Amino acid sequence: MTPAGVDRPPSGLASATGMRPAGPRLAGLRLVRLYLASRRALTCLLVLVAFAVVLRTALHWMPRSGLASRQLPLTIQAGAAALIGVTTRSPFGEPERATGRWLPLLRLGTVTLLAGAAVGALVAGSASAHLAGGTLGMLRDLAGLTGIALLTAALLGGTLAWVGPLAYLVVTLHALQAAWTTPWVWPVRPPDDRGAALCAALVLAAGVAVITMRGARDTAGE
Amino acid sequence: MNVEISDLTRRFGRTQAVAGVTLATGPGVFGLLGPNGAGKTSLLRMLATVIPPSSGRLRLLGRDPGVYGPRREIRRRLGYLPQNLGYYPGFTVVEFVEYFALLKDMPAGRVPGAVATAVERVGLGDKARAKLRTLSGGMLRRVGIAQAIVNQPELLLLDEPTAGLDPEQRVAFRALLRELGQHATVIVSTHLVEDVGAACSQVALMDQGMLVFHGTPGELTARAEGTAAAGDAPLERGYSAVLAAARSTAAARS
Amino acid sequence: MTAATDAPVRHGPPRAASTGPLTAARLLRIELRRNAMLWMLPLLAALFWFSTYRPSMALPPWWNLRGTLLQQQALLGFAPLMAGVAAWMGSREGRRGTADLVGVTALPRWAGQLATWAATTCWAMVAYLGGVAVVYGITARQATWGGPLGWPVAVGAAMVAASCALGFAAGTLVPSRFSAPLVAVTVFLALAAGAIAIEHNSTYAQIWPLNVQGALPPDTFGTFSPYLPDLAITQVLFLAGLAAAVLGALGLRAAGGRWLRCAAAVAAAAGLAAAGTGVGLAGTARPEAHGIVIPTLHDTANDKPIAYTPVCSQAAVPVCLHPAYRSLLPAVTAALDPLLSEVAGLPGAPVRVWQVASTHLQQRPHNGIELSGPVIGGSPPVVSLPLSGMALPGEGHTTAAEFIRQLRSQVPPMLLNTLIGGDQLDTNGQQGSRSARQPSPSVLAQQVIKAALAQVAGVPPDSGVPPLPPGSPADAAAKRFAALPAAARHAWLVDHLTRLRAGQITLGELP
Repeated sequence: MTPAGVDRPPSGLASATGMRPAGPRLAGLRLVRLYLASRRALTCLLVLVAFAVVLRTALHWMPRSGLASRQLPLTIQAGAAALIGVTTRSPFGEPERATGRWLPLLRLGTVTLLAGAAVGALVAGSASAHLAGGTLGMLRDLAGLTGIALLTAALLGGTLAWVGPLAYLVVTLHALQAAWTTPWVWPVRPPDDRGAALCAALVLAAGVAVITMRGARDTAGE
Repeated sequence: MNVEISDLTRRFGRTQAVAGVTLATGPGVFGLLGPNGAGKTSLLRMLATVIPPSSGRLRLLGRDPGVYGPRREIRRRLGYLPQNLGYYPGFTVVEFVEYFALLKDMPAGRVPGAVATAVERVGLGDKARAKLRTLSGGMLRRVGIAQAIVNQPELLLLDEPTAGLDPEQRVAFRALLRELGQHATVIVSTHLVEDVGAACSQVALMDQGMLVFHGTPGELTARAEGTAAAGDAPLERGYSAVLAAARSTAAARS
Repeated sequence: MTAATDAPVRHGPPRAASTGPLTAARLLRIELRRNAMLWMLPLLAALFWFSTYRPSMALPPWWNLRGTLLQQQALLGFAPLMAGVAAWMGSREGRRGTADLVGVTALPRWAGQLATWAATTCWAMVAYLGGVAVVYGITARQATWGGPLGWPVAVGAAMVAASCALGFAAGTLVPSRFSAPLVAVTVFLALAAGAIAIEHNSTYAQIWPLNVQGALPPDTFGTFSPYLPDLAITQVLFLAGLAAAVLGALGLRAAGGRWLRCAAAVAAAAGLAAAGTGVGLAGTARPEAHGIVIPTLHDTANDKPIAYTPVCSQAAVPVCLHPAYRSLLPAVTAALDPLLSEVAGLPGAPVRVWQVASTHLQQRPHNGIELSGPVIGGSPPVVSLPLSGMALPGEGHTTAAEFIRQLRSQVPPMLLNTLIGGDQLDTNGQQGSRSARQPSPSVLAQQVIKAALAQVAGVPPDSGVPPLPPGSPADAAAKRFAALPAAARHAWLVDHLTRLRAGQITLGELP
């Protein structure tokens, strides 16, 4: 480092780093790309695709009724929600929080992108196969589970976001066996049940709001 | 000699981090200087048996670290503080040092006393029960030093040990180094030339993976005489002079 | 920092000291105190209460029912989460950047990893066995017969250890943020896949840890004859082998000396052999009426019935149940007494109802089995009543009334058909000459009496007693007979039952 020339970058810097001056649009795209890379979004997408393949395979062997017909798809949905929750973890901690206005939008965009990808992957995985509860039920269940994962991330940190949806899955499996009817365990309700859809939507909205505004809880040292 | 290195190299892909270093040292404090990317950390990691050399000969404490049995024996007698210290936030200071004392195969009966001594020596006696997540960066560094010295090592490798320490703590740390160096080989990799000047009996300077100077701090200082090398202190000027000479020699060769 | 201390400084470590039990204990102590599984205990306790404790307490206090839940429900809730937390612990060095620091220590890395795994598994066992202790402790105070079943708990404990081993190894190998959730989901999927494989009648899938004695209802085993441990032994062998194989593979990967690698290889090979043996043995399993039998492991002493003193009701025709079913005696008596009191003392009527163990009849598709129903036989006649396989009060939404309804739909129709007849074709040798909807007058009379007694006994419709066309003369006759005083009905049956059974009574001769 030299005292002079701090305001002006050295003349060879741009070509040395491969960076060129970018307009606002390109800069925005680069920011999004870097943010997604920091959250391991690509790995998440690849695993979601793997989940879709597993779902496709499972639907071929699964019985069409009974607890087993619900357990496998619900497990995959909970896994997808857990992945979305885990990607909210920031590897930067405080330095990232002390930045400008883009962070909430980036968080919201990432959650939306990954949730959409999860929906797309699971819909593709269940296309032209018999899925107990249908596509509507799957969308509702996935939405609610994602909300739980986001709320867990806000509470316990991104790396532990998986605990919430999987604990809820245990509760759901028991509720299916015991024939519960409460809408707060939305998978037990029919796919077109409005109360269950409302509960799932509320949980999703709460999770998205909290993650957008506050992000996942920073866990020290990670 | 506790450390005997002959033509040691280490490659990472196409990058040659250490390019033919030859060095021998016994008890005392040995400073390792050099700019960023000079290969200091890679050399230190080879001495710590973290990574094997790509080629060359390495003997530590009279043993070959390439063989499992001698390597294990070396590690019992080794203390290592890496540049980036990882830690477990939920551990207390004592637990962290005790954990590494046990991993270093110290006799279990000696561990509590050794841990207490190490924690006191780094000045964290009143923070012994504090969780690591509550400590400042400098205190964490001292915890790292404590785990490195808990087993009274014969070979102590410290990479940037004074990072985050305040001036008073750095003075105390140098005194600790001098005391440790009376009976062990202490190799300190640092950017701070004043640490080297105050504590080290020998110093080596690395640049681009090669050893460009090996001698006493006085000899390094003397290298600046008659040159217009930059620096605010004699040792800094000697450092700059040696680097400049090494780079011009390298440029002339290429 | 101090350069000089008061304590005398001993320079250099002493000569090589091998790792002793004290070192291992100290390491384990640190790992136990700082293990993430400890923080999961409240969540695990809540899930246990929810998915295992509450359903257990809703069921009758039978050891076989509650032991089954401890192997099935508890593991379904625990194993995936425990595996996820174990993966979290396994990835600790990768997440915290301490890999170099611990890698240059003298203790073999495998030893350090085993200490971490052991601490994780200890807390997981505390959670699981703590739940077992609660359920079994309460059952001990409520149960009227028998004792706790140990084998379901052994399988559960083995599953806990195996889940932690698998999770830990996965986290060590791939210290990513995605490791823990993927491990947990994988264990969930594996458990679900096992259930589906069993439904497809795969015998090897009997090894599935949540499988307790196959398709046999839980109240079938461990009551009349000892609990068969054959399947549980293979499951424990499989799970323990899996854990050993995985942990041995970790040792192979961790840098170490030749002997250490040999030990790890032996552990991995032995584990694989044990797991493979377990699966192979499970492939030879066959369901019997009292449990799953694996010929190589079977002890014929377990086929001998357990002696017991039944508990009986005080009635003209007493109902006698196994003492474990004492809590159901009032409901069974209430279900059967209306008809038994009607037929008590009649020719061919039973003198007693005696609960027996179920007899396995045949296997059904999708891993189902059909169990034997009630029969009447012997001299004097006794109703042999198996209660296994019925929905018990407290199971799901089954109430006592529904349990009684189940019994009344099984026993009275069988009894009435045996005592009175009337479900066979015309006995005048004109089989096939009449339509099945137009029974002969003698058969019609039998059906009328059966319908009347079924009505008195509260038998549900469509339970095997042929319905009479509403408004028909037969229907009116049935209603008249049912409306008679009990003594009058009984007196008529005493005088006419033999002729009625022989088909010598017509509709016009009925009161």
